[in-house]
Amino acid sequence: MSSESPPPAASGDNQDELILAQKEAIAQDIASNASLVGNLEPVYSLEREFSHDAVFMTKIGNLKGRYAELRRTRPDGNCFFRAVAYRYFELLLHRPDEYERIKALLPRAKAQMIELGMPTFTLEDFYDNFMDHVDRVGQAHMDAQQLFETFNEPGQSDYLVVFLRLLTSMQLQRNAEFYQNFMEGDKTVAEFCATEVEPMYNESDHIHITALTEATGISLRVIYLDRGSQTEASLHDFPDQGESAATTPLVHLLYRPGHYDVIYPVKSTSESGPATSNATVTTTAELSS
Amino acid sequence: MASTALRRLMAEFKQLSENPPEGLMAGPISDENYFEWEAAITGPQDTVFEDGVFIARLTFPQDYPLNPPKMKFMSKIFHPNIYADGRVCISILHAPGDDPMGYEQSSERWSPVQSVEKVLLSVMSMLAEPNTESPANVDAAKMWRENREDFKKIAHKHVRMTLEEDPPSESRNT
Repeated sequence: MSSESPPPAASGDNQDELILAQKEAIAQDIASNASLVGNLEPVYSLEREFSHDAVFMTKIGNLKGRYAELRRTRPDGNCFFRAVAYRYFELLLHRPDEYERIKALLPRAKAQMIELGMPTFTLEDFYDNFMDHVDRVGQAHMDAQQLFETFNEPGQSDYLVVFLRLLTSMQLQRNAEFYQNFMEGDKTVAEFCATEVEPMYNESDHIHITALTEATGISLRVIYLDRGSQTEASLHDFPDQGESAATTPLVHLLYRPGHYDVIYPVKSTSESGPATSNATVTTTAELSS
Repeated sequence: MASTALRRLMAEFKQLSENPPEGLMAGPISDENYFEWEAAITGPQDTVFEDGVFIARLTFPQDYPLNPPKMKFMSKIFHPNIYADGRVCISILHAPGDDPMGYEQSSERWSPVQSVEKVLLSVMSMLAEPNTESPANVDAAKMWRENREDFKKIAHKHVRMTLEEDPPSESRNT
């Protein structure tokens, strides 16, 4: 009998549970202090946080000429994906060209994901949900306010984030040979995707951004607000268009060390109202090419 | 948050009922609560657990499938990767970063595309092939390595118990 009744679990188990409980408490603290997606704020609201910092203040000052507004996202490790998703859906509200493009692209992406061996049943759960939202927004069955509410409903908001993570993982794995060059140590691209891309709450890096923009064709500009010595915040476009960037990316994000928020240019084509005229459609088609 | 979880759990239950994998059955304990499931796992053939039908409880978080369920055997089972109280310790039930047992980098982790079926299949292979590197039950791991005959005897006894026992209840041996 004694051999069948092993002693209670080793104390290491309790340690681990304490650590997990602490992580959970930190996450809840963040959740209670920041909405998943916040309201629009003027860009100068950043000055309050950085008033003590000359480098940041100069850069924010210079940003104000080009960017008008800011929308914060919760710093929960999903901020990059949530910021892109929110801004993109917002654009879909009045970009029929973009709606047609993404609607044609996503089924192909799904087929590629299945080809890679992602489990069809669970993948479809996220795909169907994402597609359903693309349709609702693209066909005007959902307005800006409903979109905002959807993105602040945790389950729904996170479901949309998961799908973007899966798209990113797909792109990395389909181009594993290339992306292997960016792996640390002997980690394979598949392992990287399983540990750093697909699971929620893992922060995004340059490589995630590159892969997501490639997979979706959504052009993106990241403004880096960091402690670099220049007076202008540096920017990076995905895909990289070099110095002679002729077109303006669709989505603009503001990066502060460890975090991404949505940022809105002073004059954004997409913000000028519904694309009703042919002229606007032509312009936007050029943008997305 | 619970609405997406509920929708997903209902879909998984439907899928599992329509195409049950061999040796596995699982479903909610009651229609009123889809977040508590019971699973019956048949001991894999040609292993010490062969023919046993082990009952386990799965408890799903409100944000499932973003986070994994917890799993606990209600049937008595002596295994290196199952705590004495029945809790299952396997990498697929942990997101990367939640690293209680210091699982290997390459071991399979929880992600939202995993499923109940995938978890149960992993547990089934765990029954067949214990991982004694990071045991939850040190005694079981030691016996598995050093005294396989005694391990078999205990396993066989537990297999017999699963065949005799009434449908499991909350009052599991502790």
